[in-house]
Amino acid sequence: MSAQKIGVFTCHCGGNISDYVDVQKVCDAAAGTEGCALAKTFLFACSDSSQEEMMEAIRTHQLDGVVIASCSPKLHLETFRVMAHRAGLNPHMYTQVNIREQCSWAHRHDMPKASEKAVRLVRAGIARASLSRPLENIRVETLPAVLVIGAGPAGMRAALALSDLGLTVYVVERAAEVGGRIRALGKLFPSGRPGREIVARLRDQIAGRDNIVVYTNAELVEKSGSAGRFAVKVRAGQETISLKVGAIIAATGFAPYAPQPEEFGFGLPAVVTLPEFNELLTTSRECLRVNGRDVRTIAYVYCVGSRQSEGNQYCSRYCCTAAVHAAIQAHEIDPELNQFHLYRDMRAYGRNELIYEEARQKGSLFLRYDGGEPPTVEREGDGLLVRVRDELSGGDSIEIPADLVVLVTGMVATSNQRLLDVLKLPLSAGGFFNEIHPKLRPVETVIDGVFIAGAAQAPKNLAESVASSMAAAANCSAMLLKGHLDRAPLVAKVSAETCVWCGECVKVCPYAGAIVEVERDGKQVADVVPELCKGCGACAAVCPSAAIELEGYTNAQVTAMIDALAAEVVS
Amino acid sequence: MDYDALIVGGGIAGMQSALTLGDMGYRVLLVEKEPSIGGRMILLSKVFPTLDCASCISTPKMATTAHHPNITVMTSADIDGIERDTDGSFIARVRKKSTFVDPTACIGCAECERECTVAIADRFNFDLIASRAIHIAFPQAVPKKAVIASDGISPCTYTCPGGVEAHGYVSLVRAGLYEEAFRLHMKDAPLPGSLSRLCYAPCEKQCTRALAEGKIEIRGAKRFMTDYYYDRHPVPEYGVPADRNGKRVAVVGSGPAGLTAAYFLARNGYAVTIFESAREAGGVLRDATPPYRLPRAVLERDLHNITALGVEIRTRTDVASVADLKAQGFDAVFIAPGTMKAKEIDIPGKDLGGVVDPLTFLKSAIDSKIDLAGKRVAVVGGGSVAVDSARMALRCGAREVDIYYRRSRKEMPAHETDVQAALDEGVKLHELRAPMRFVGEGGRLTAIALQETKLGAPDASKRAAPEPVAGSETEVAAEVVIVAVGLLPGADLFPGEMERRRDGTLVTNKETLATSLVGVYAARNAIIDPTMIIQSIALGKRAAFHMDRYLRGESEPASFDLRLPRVTHEEVLSRNAITTRAPEKMRMLDPLERARSNAEIEVALSEDAVRAETGRCLDCGICSQCHQCVETCPADAIHFDMRPELVSVRVRSTLLATGFQLFDARRKPLYGYGRHANVVTAMQMDRLLAPTRPYNAVLRPSDGKAPSNIAFVLCTGSRDCTVDSRLCSRVCCMYSIKQAQLLMGALPLAEVTIYFMDIRAFGKGYDEFFEQAKGMGVYFVKGRVAKIEETTDGDLLVSHEDISGGAGKTVAQHDLVVLSVGLTANPKAFSILKDANVEADAFNFVREVDEDLEPGRTTMEGVFVAGTAAGIRDIPDTIVHASAAALQVAAYLRTGEVNQ
Repeated sequence: MSAQKIGVFTCHCGGNISDYVDVQKVCDAAAGTEGCALAKTFLFACSDSSQEEMMEAIRTHQLDGVVIASCSPKLHLETFRVMAHRAGLNPHMYTQVNIREQCSWAHRHDMPKASEKAVRLVRAGIARASLSRPLENIRVETLPAVLVIGAGPAGMRAALALSDLGLTVYVVERAAEVGGRIRALGKLFPSGRPGREIVARLRDQIAGRDNIVVYTNAELVEKSGSAGRFAVKVRAGQETISLKVGAIIAATGFAPYAPQPEEFGFGLPAVVTLPEFNELLTTSRECLRVNGRDVRTIAYVYCVGSRQSEGNQYCSRYCCTAAVHAAIQAHEIDPELNQFHLYRDMRAYGRNELIYEEARQKGSLFLRYDGGEPPTVEREGDGLLVRVRDELSGGDSIEIPADLVVLVTGMVATSNQRLLDVLKLPLSAGGFFNEIHPKLRPVETVIDGVFIAGAAQAPKNLAESVASSMAAAANCSAMLLKGHLDRAPLVAKVSAETCVWCGECVKVCPYAGAIVEVERDGKQVADVVPELCKGCGACAAVCPSAAIELEGYTNAQVTAMIDALAAEVVS
Repeated sequence: MDYDALIVGGGIAGMQSALTLGDMGYRVLLVEKEPSIGGRMILLSKVFPTLDCASCISTPKMATTAHHPNITVMTSADIDGIERDTDGSFIARVRKKSTFVDPTACIGCAECERECTVAIADRFNFDLIASRAIHIAFPQAVPKKAVIASDGISPCTYTCPGGVEAHGYVSLVRAGLYEEAFRLHMKDAPLPGSLSRLCYAPCEKQCTRALAEGKIEIRGAKRFMTDYYYDRHPVPEYGVPADRNGKRVAVVGSGPAGLTAAYFLARNGYAVTIFESAREAGGVLRDATPPYRLPRAVLERDLHNITALGVEIRTRTDVASVADLKAQGFDAVFIAPGTMKAKEIDIPGKDLGGVVDPLTFLKSAIDSKIDLAGKRVAVVGGGSVAVDSARMALRCGAREVDIYYRRSRKEMPAHETDVQAALDEGVKLHELRAPMRFVGEGGRLTAIALQETKLGAPDASKRAAPEPVAGSETEVAAEVVIVAVGLLPGADLFPGEMERRRDGTLVTNKETLATSLVGVYAARNAIIDPTMIIQSIALGKRAAFHMDRYLRGESEPASFDLRLPRVTHEEVLSRNAITTRAPEKMRMLDPLERARSNAEIEVALSEDAVRAETGRCLDCGICSQCHQCVETCPADAIHFDMRPELVSVRVRSTLLATGFQLFDARRKPLYGYGRHANVVTAMQMDRLLAPTRPYNAVLRPSDGKAPSNIAFVLCTGSRDCTVDSRLCSRVCCMYSIKQAQLLMGALPLAEVTIYFMDIRAFGKGYDEFFEQAKGMGVYFVKGRVAKIEETTDGDLLVSHEDISGGAGKTVAQHDLVVLSVGLTANPKAFSILKDANVEADAFNFVREVDEDLEPGRTTMEGVFVAGTAAGIRDIPDTIVHASAAALQVAAYLRTGEVNQ
């Protein structure tokens, strides 16, 4: 072991850790470990005052390295690296040991063993820290341009926002026209403005910008590089265009749920989906006519394609309000209409409550059905018969003869496998793009430099889509306006002396161009392009001559960690 | 330009916007009214739907915000107003509230919290537990600095002419810290023994408790702590200050004013000599204060407080002139001669033997040099001196003592309690009688001729003027008459040396008490009766303050009185729900027992009584300024002379992130919040579940029992037109489901029921979270709760309609009910903007011009809004909205740059 002086700080995380892990025991064990020069505990290591105290300790004890036993590095690795840096330490002399997710949360029924595991993990952390060496960040010069995928309202508004800040924007739209789904929708809640008007406004504004280029009938076909410097290829019609951008925003929108045949009578005449009903509303005057018949009675069936135990389990968020909003419009067209809403929970959240209230005032009747006992829709004579057991009237079975049944359909993710292959974005359970963290990093993805916006992330209404797209634009701007980006230097490194250029490393490298063949001292060896390497370590693992080391996780470090973890087992 | 953007509010929205703008390179000023940034989120337990710990998400944002090179954070700061300048920029006036703690010095060790003697409801724990007047907001506070809660100076402290911190020592006595209470008093004034016996206690007259069941015996508390201290410390704990400054001060007169000035000057390192013409020191305390009021031993011990500092008292020493003192090498002189003589009455017979002045009489009587056995003594006058003279006459053996007063009893300047005590002891009072002449034989008084009077129109003293009633003359026999009709200042000291007023008193500067001679100060108008000595102490203290400044060569004018504004009784009463408790009263010895004895007649309160009495203190100003924190602070960070600071900053844009207000559950009286102990709000439940939870367990408030059957009442204050709150609050369904899940983890055997209208689990992963709760066994009952009643054992009867279960109107019993209170607009956003171009929506949120396409843009150019200030949203939506709003700000700023 080297003679590095390591400080070990163990966090209570309020009770998150200390309720299940004996924090003092961990601290005492650390104190007795070789290399540990100082061991302390903190109620919240991440709190400002604790950070100040740790910085003070680093300075006064002249620590060479720091280990903090706390939560997942996904949460606070960066927090504590910055703390170390502020204390004058190289940030890579910091090692995080996760005793929350890996000990207190995983073993909450066995405090002694959870504590024992924590002790060993901390020992391993000390072993790693003792062999750490200062590393310098890799600086990437960023490109002041952004690729926006999707020209719906989210994509267009993001493009305008980026353009406002002086960034060049390339917008790629798969369809022949911009505007996305709202183009076909009628009046939107809560403003009552027609979708096409909003699209027109955004389109006109974009047309006036010389730093926005829109490609329609186009799609992204290739992406390489990394955050700050992506090289992408866009196929627009027959043409393939190469672009260089610093960031990418995926705003690919949603698709309306398409009911299965016979799902709530779908397929019967006069059984329509909500988007179809919206179209009907835009074209109707004075009365609604379907299949040549005047509509006197409408039944709305909610949660079609949403909140299903089989199929889509998620709530589609916008449909409740969209349906009551549509009912108000129908009432305005024909005040004599009878409108029955068969719902489960009326999710007219926030101000949308007012729309729900208005629909009730305008005569809409609401019947509540249990998700386990959905209504049925059948043909009866010329019309339709809807049967429902209504909780609000004490569980009465009610039959509603209807002229029109509107299936209040939700949103589903767009399917675009080719794009997914290019972007390599992970999806959440419903098939929508997944953010890193809904609160900490709500528009960021695990691919640095690729952001998500709008309903591609989850069902959202217009305002919510726009807000999230502007949040994505804000993140892009914060990243690109500085002109450079510092990346952690935890990348692979080849020893030219040992390398025999067998090519195994290139075969396993998932990042195109990250390992290249070069000539050093007259022999062919592998070399790593630091800007492209993600530090996954796959190459280091397969190298038969052990010529590749991963910075921060060198073979010596990992061996020492294993020895520390398994000390009792081996001896 | 000071900053590119001013962000008002340091909650999650304000921090997110600040970080976004800061990362883009803009300079941001973030102003937060609370002592810490972090808003409400940092106080939550876990957050839905991921069940992340709220602290874990908030703390890094808080730390990053505080340390961001482009962000300046001001906490405990209010925006007094924002005005738009002609160039489009804004001038914001920021008031940095006085926290009495220097944040640059405070190290956040919380030692002060442990010593603080004032408990307050911990608002960061939503009143579940107590915090202290000095406190660190919460464990993860950023900055982690102590602050002192103060609503102003308490009325008792504020009103004391001598600046004695009455609230401070009351609060120390309440805490059982009697010696500390004494020492605090000694910081403010040196004669606690005398004051505790004599003072007319203006503090008690200002006591807010007087508006409830009765004022607190503040003087009684002082009496107790002083007796306690003097019992244990027969001599002072201190001696002559080590660091004398070599300067000498002469004080003429050893009454309360002179003693006080000497005390403060000596503490500041001056060598002080008091010149006293009488045989013994003490002035009015010695010569005109009967021992039954002030035992001599207490007076001696009080004097010791001064002499222990090395103050020399030269008794029987007359001072010839100020020039003489200067010649003796004194650098400054304080003249405090006190009351020198009694007013005479100009009627026939005034020179008869047996007609005496009260000062001569009292002095002789106190020295036991008079025997009045068998004599009839008449006293003329109605002031304290008259009453004291009468009572002393009794104690000198007089057969009969009669007071003749020309007005009626209620006009008597003497304190009513003293008048009554005198009557109880056997003194007779004759109202509306004025002496016409003293009748004598052989040069000695035998009788007094009196005339009846009646009360006429008010005179210059605003009291009814006595008018003689013609033909009402009577004669009463008396061998001694004490003429106590008023006192006059000494006007014959040091003739010719200084400017004088027409009445012979010295001309002095009202603020500094400086006379026309440089370096010579004088206590003006020192006419007192012994109950008024605090006035003299005030003068002595004021003189010492200005003499010290003079002697240190400070030339800048300074004010002695730097009191902060006082809190009003109304503010205090509106803040506290007052439980009345029977007051303790100081009592006197039995009249028959005391009337012929010089023993002290007032009986001290017992320790129990004094603790009960001080326990009634309402802590009007909140902080009592007991100075325990000052004493204990290792960083010397606490300064009660800190004052609010106004700073003007120029900013290019303004972003309102002023957040929301929680619905006040008391507005739904049928739910019993505030009446039923076991009805809590969801915010309180979140605290009960948080990692920094107040009880380290989920307990119900009434009896500390772990609840086993918990109910949530959704839509409390939302979707409810009866409380003018029609909107849905968006978050309550989800936070209730979250709490239900956490409760099932914390209390595995507990049943949890959620009464709802609609479960609005609309966000990403929310419905799945709802299903998960159902799977865990949370009962969901569709139906609105009508009312909540309490059983005798603290359980709650929840009347509701069970719609989904089909049971109709029914009553369920729970042992804890959580009201899932809604969120409403914070009108604060509008009060800070001077020109009212920022419009509100119908629900008092900041209106966005185009909610669909321009999130964060208000009706006023350059002013933006983020988060819940624009409408209720949950945390993920708030963060996204705040980023979007920051981008709007950036776009606005850039447009300005491009146009330039």
